[in-house]
Amino acid sequence: MRWDEVDELVRAALSKEVEEGAKRLADLPERVIRELARRPARPTLWEKAHAFFARPVPRWALAGALAALLLGFTLGRLTAPTPIPHWNPNLFVIAAPGARSVAVVGDFSAWQPLPLSDPDGDGIWMASIPLPPGRYEYAFLVDGKWVGQDPLAEEYLRTFGEYVSVRYIGGGRADRSS
Amino acid sequence: MPAEELELIQHSLNGDLEAWGEIVGRYKEAVFAVTLSILRNYADAEDATQDAFIRAFENLRQYDLSRKFSTWLLTVAANVAKNALRKRRREREPPLPEMDGDPSEEVQADLRLQAVRRAVGELPEPYRAPVVLYYWHELPLEEIGQILGLPVGTVKTRLFRARALIRAKLLEQGVIHNAVG
Repeated sequence: MRWDEVDELVRAALSKEVEEGAKRLADLPERVIRELARRPARPTLWEKAHAFFARPVPRWALAGALAALLLGFTLGRLTAPTPIPHWNPNLFVIAAPGARSVAVVGDFSAWQPLPLSDPDGDGIWMASIPLPPGRYEYAFLVDGKWVGQDPLAEEYLRTFGEYVSVRYIGGGRADRSS
Repeated sequence: MPAEELELIQHSLNGDLEAWGEIVGRYKEAVFAVTLSILRNYADAEDATQDAFIRAFENLRQYDLSRKFSTWLLTVAANVAKNALRKRRREREPPLPEMDGDPSEEVQADLRLQAVRRAVGELPEPYRAPVVLYYWHELPLEEIGQILGLPVGTVKTRLFRARALIRAKLLEQGVIHNAVG
């Protein structure tokens, strides 16, 4: 017997088998509809989130949260974090905990890296770069990785597929709006 | 995908059960063939087919409309049937009875086809679904691989082995005599 004859036999046998069994499926659409209609609707993500936050919070959880808050406050006081500097347009600051090297690059440095420092090791890297009034484009390099969106920037640009931050010093955009 | 079918799926996505019922009517046999190939029992395959359509409806948002709907649906069906098979094995049910069929009818029917059905039914489980998807659904090997989560090479080898096993069984039973391939 040739292989294609075996193929034909298998095909015919399977057709017969499915045809016989499919008689049981005559009312399947109705059964599926009934079953789906009977089931409670599955909550959407929004409903799940709402249910989670609407759930009453047990007392032990509140006590735990309070304890964690107090512990955090105490530890924070003990570790004397870097004081948040007053806004200084010449100051470049970025939080990069665990980074080995951080630098700023910009049109003011002909895009050559100028190092930032973190002397107390708390992950806040900064450098004060005295710049004359003007508009400056810049980005940070954290361990060599481009970070183009400084939260302190006044606007962002996209150049060569990368973000670049923009800040104005002395009579710039922020000054005009105030 | 035909526009009409896309419309049914979109209505189903909006919770229209009648539209989903239409989809069930269109694909019930295709899904049943897959679940039957894995479970080898009409009653279990029927339950798995119903579960597959319910599961598919509940997860319809995961279906990528740009892809072939039947491939996605049969993948869901294969997974539902495999889970049912695992559950059945865990519960150590007694061996399955023979496939449905009145013996007196069998006598009247084409004995050859009955023997082929038995031979397919006795194939090891991993071989059966590729056989059904290839011979009954007439799907290309790539699509069978997608549905069963297998590399195309594996699908191919399983089909070759399955066919050889079926032929050996038929020769052994004297259903076919000429072994010349």
